[in-house]
Amino acid sequence: MTMPATTWTAATLPVDDNVNPYVFSIALNSPWFMSKGAMLAYYGDVRFEAVTAYASMQAWVAARFSSPIYVQDWVIAEGHGRLLIGDRGYDLNSYDLDAGNLTIKAGNLLAFETGLELKQSIVPGFVTLLGTGRFIASSNGPVIFVEPPFRADPEALLGWADCPSPSVHHDAAWMAASIAGALQGAFGRASGEERQYDFTGQGTVLLQSSEIAREDPAVLRLVEAQTQLLTNSQAGSLGQRLIARAQQQ
Amino acid sequence: MPLEAVNGKVVRARVAPQAPVLARRGSMLGYSGQVTFRPVHGQGQGVGGFVGAAMSGESNPMMATEGAGEVLYGYRGLYATVLELDGTAPLVCEADRLLVHDAHLQTSVQFLGSGGVRSAVRGAFTGQGLFTTNVHGRGAVAVLSHGGAFPLQVSGGTIGVDPQAYVGHVGQLSVDLAAKVGFRDAVGRGSGEAIQLKISGHGTVYVQASEKKF
Repeated sequence: MTMPATTWTAATLPVDDNVNPYVFSIALNSPWFMSKGAMLAYYGDVRFEAVTAYASMQAWVAARFSSPIYVQDWVIAEGHGRLLIGDRGYDLNSYDLDAGNLTIKAGNLLAFETGLELKQSIVPGFVTLLGTGRFIASSNGPVIFVEPPFRADPEALLGWADCPSPSVHHDAAWMAASIAGALQGAFGRASGEERQYDFTGQGTVLLQSSEIAREDPAVLRLVEAQTQLLTNSQAGSLGQRLIARAQQQ
Repeated sequence: MPLEAVNGKVVRARVAPQAPVLARRGSMLGYSGQVTFRPVHGQGQGVGGFVGAAMSGESNPMMATEGAGEVLYGYRGLYATVLELDGTAPLVCEADRLLVHDAHLQTSVQFLGSGGVRSAVRGAFTGQGLFTTNVHGRGAVAVLSHGGAFPLQVSGGTIGVDPQAYVGHVGQLSVDLAAKVGFRDAVGRGSGEAIQLKISGHGTVYVQASEKKF
């Protein structure tokens, strides 16, 4: 391993480009939405403000950021300078959307321009970006682009663009073999490979090497919001099951 | 060639009716085509094979991929290295390093303890248990590593390898543990390199650039 040849300064850092595969340099002139914790370093006069605090002052923020379950995890970076971002040492890529739409795993979206609008996807744990502008996302290893028809493991799915939302496909052969195996006591029932996201139609699917599951605070809020569909007695029995599960671990 | 590296961490397998593959369970990233998955045991030679594998701790949960199509495999962002075995010598590695391989390759568990006390000691120190897996036959296999595996050629000489950096080896090689536990190590001032694997013979040793297991 040789020493890096360059010592960066505010003037020499790349303009809206990668510094290396794992670090991206944003030339900040207009506000960006940023995931909390993505900032590594910055030069210049840069301020970070919580989206919640900002939204009450600026109506456009509320219009752009209409995902209440994610609002706590995001800040607005504004001012002038160079902003360096990174995420767990993952590969970083920037993407340009032109009046397009792209859905991406919420935990892998690091920053986006205010020309884009963030919406919560129908698929849990994913968000959809609409409009025109640039965003930056991380992936475990380089991103792999594939075209439908394609079935993806939920953990390896990074996102999709221009194609319909996926349906859930259950592998019948796997389930049959797995249940037979469980009866013989040979292996457990939840083996993980039976459930896939099925993509059809025209578009692009983005994949990464599967991630080690990371706790996503938004998932709790999402599931909690869904429990409003339950009656009081259903909610009670779900609560008991959850307590039993928490005590098992 | 049924296995092909897409990038450092992802392997593409072309599955055909005559050429199914075996993969680590939970490693499928996505697929296109008419492909089905079926759970199998790592060492499927009947009940005895399964029990033996379970006892040895080398019972890695595997699955068969059958049909016709293209399947992507990767595991938790670990690096995957594709090796072509020419059938002259088995690949020796731990079962949980096997990401995917041709289904017609045979795997068997080797009990290192049969090599005597020193061999057993090696297992204890490398964290491999006292068992390793041998992959026999002619075909392709993808091996997991932390940070990527690189090959080191051994031609008649001896090479010393850090046990934690050792991934596996192919060829006519014998592996021996060299423990230089002297006074300095006993009082905690050792270099941290007191225990090494001495690998000698003819073949290729695969080493990862990390001392972290997974």
